[in-house]
Amino acid sequence: MPSSPSPSHELQTLVGLGVGLVGVGMALGALSIPSASGYAGVGPNFLPWVVAVALMLCGGFMVREARSGGFRNMEEAGGDRPYWPGFVWMSAGLLANAALITTIGFIFSCALCFVLAARGLRLAAGEDGGPRSWLADALTGLLIASPVYWMFTKFLAINLPGLTQSGWL
Amino acid sequence: MDIWHQLMQGFATAGTPVNLLWAFVGCALGTAVGVLPGIGPATAVAMLLPITAKVEATASMIFFAGIYYGAMYGGSTTSILLNTPGETASMVTAMEGNKMAKSGRAGAALATAAIGSFVAGTIATVLVTLFAPVVADFAVKLGPPEYFMLMLLAFTTVSAVLGQSTVRGLSALFVGLAIGLVGLDQITGQARYTGGVPELLDGIEIVLVAVGLFAVAEALHAVLFEGRVVETANKMSRVTMSGSDWRRSMPAWLRGTAIGAPFGCIPAGGAEIPTFLSYAVEKKLAKGEHQAEFGTRGAIEGVAGPEAANNATVTAALIPLLTLGIPVSNTTAILLGAFQNYGIQPGPQLFTSAAALVWALIASLYIGNVMLLVLNLPLVGLWVKLLKVPKPQLYAGILIFATVGAYGMRQSAFDLFLLYAIGVLGLIMRRFSFPTAPVVVGMILGPLAEAQFRNAISIGEGSAMVFLQRPMSLTLLVVVVAVLVVPRWLKARRSNA
Repeated sequence: MPSSPSPSHELQTLVGLGVGLVGVGMALGALSIPSASGYAGVGPNFLPWVVAVALMLCGGFMVREARSGGFRNMEEAGGDRPYWPGFVWMSAGLLANAALITTIGFIFSCALCFVLAARGLRLAAGEDGGPRSWLADALTGLLIASPVYWMFTKFLAINLPGLTQSGWL
Repeated sequence: MDIWHQLMQGFATAGTPVNLLWAFVGCALGTAVGVLPGIGPATAVAMLLPITAKVEATASMIFFAGIYYGAMYGGSTTSILLNTPGETASMVTAMEGNKMAKSGRAGAALATAAIGSFVAGTIATVLVTLFAPVVADFAVKLGPPEYFMLMLLAFTTVSAVLGQSTVRGLSALFVGLAIGLVGLDQITGQARYTGGVPELLDGIEIVLVAVGLFAVAEALHAVLFEGRVVETANKMSRVTMSGSDWRRSMPAWLRGTAIGAPFGCIPAGGAEIPTFLSYAVEKKLAKGEHQAEFGTRGAIEGVAGPEAANNATVTAALIPLLTLGIPVSNTTAILLGAFQNYGIQPGPQLFTSAAALVWALIASLYIGNVMLLVLNLPLVGLWVKLLKVPKPQLYAGILIFATVGAYGMRQSAFDLFLLYAIGVLGLIMRRFSFPTAPVVVGMILGPLAEAQFRNAISIGEGSAMVFLQRPMSLTLLVVVVAVLVVPRWLKARRSNA
């Protein structure tokens, strides 16, 4: 085991700290929950405290593991160099979808998400997709989103937002 | 006799054209998601949870059950033909199945997997039929302390025993419990961790967490790390088995079933242990040239046994789910969530309060197994085509379905932002090899366990001694401690020796 902290161990320390911080957050939240246990003996703030303390302990343990040779029994992670541009494309797709779904409707919003996510994945795979692939993705996205929309709104009567009130678009 | 009568009633309900159609669609969809990499039964059921708002309970439970075990059939197809298993339990199938496929025997491997799944699934369904009512009768006698201990056992096995690291397993469990805490306290109605956001009073939807952790995280992982990974597919061959294949497969199926079924019955985690165990047994029992095939040309026993064990475990896992209300895997946890959406709490009372539903569900397991055999033997070529879907379209398409699931549940765009955040969380968890099952099980079982715990304490008039004073609860506590301590003790002894 190498003892000098490698970059991945730094990240692991951060993850451990993050878990610990969630624990601290849970503890802060637990402070404002009344303990009024009444007849039950144990009140609504009992489990929150258990969870808070447990998360802080787990975080502490993980930081210790990270500082002494890294997390134990890690799986071999495949494809080590992350491809961030792809991540940005896909994130943009998902967030645009969340932001636009109520205004431009399910079909267009999902098709947009599809196009952006597919773009990220194509770039990640080293494809150089020209305008043709943009068009193909847009069509595919519409072809998946439309039947899904109709099936859920017409057949299962589940409300999904449309551009119009017709339930078709 | 009574069971027989109720089962026939169940067949009458499950056999209506509408319910048969739901079962068929479920099985077909299940096979598809099993075959497709990047999406599994837990994700698929979670995405479709919104239908519980409109579709009647029996129909949708039949549908979900079809997806649940259809995916087990489909998963083996992928693991035999591709070099990436769709779900963990088919990892073992991948080891031998892949070798067989590489030496030109893909067809035989697929056949033994499908028929073995059928044999094991059917035997295990018979066990569910016979034993679930018995367990339910017994479980009625359990009080809150015993229930809490059973849930504690489920938490322990799912987080601390399975998986590579206890610390990461426990962290995942407590994160799940933390998510489960958001919303109104069941007993006092006290709001917890809502931060004044009205959307959070109802708690965080299971769909969001499951779809975020599995589907969105999977897609993000694919775009970040798997762009250049090229998957190689093996050549298909005719799906038949020779006489010697049958002779070698049959005992392996039965042994696999015998190993898998008991593991499903106890609240002790997923199908990984029984499949590995079955593999080890088959390897040990094989003789001469058959043994030499293990790890080289691929031994058919090594596919038949684990595949049967997998299906037996998965089917038998319905016993603790239906009779105790305790899920031990991602998918059963989400099935529990589906029941809850109908205001039905699985548990011993289920066999009396919702008898028609339970028996229709059990009957549909028999029907579904037959459907799946047909779907997977003659039609396997159809599913294999799914493996040709290119990755960009596949993952981008999954995101559309993720949106349907997440948005359809509560019609709130806020949930879609939350979905993205949970997806990023899932990505980090995957990268640092945190298990996901404890999150989902913790989130769903947590509130139930908390209620049982508090009820138990009030039975004990405020004293935690109640857990030690009742023999059954004390026994379970000892089991929990043993499950935690014994593996470590064995390991320590081995490294000292």
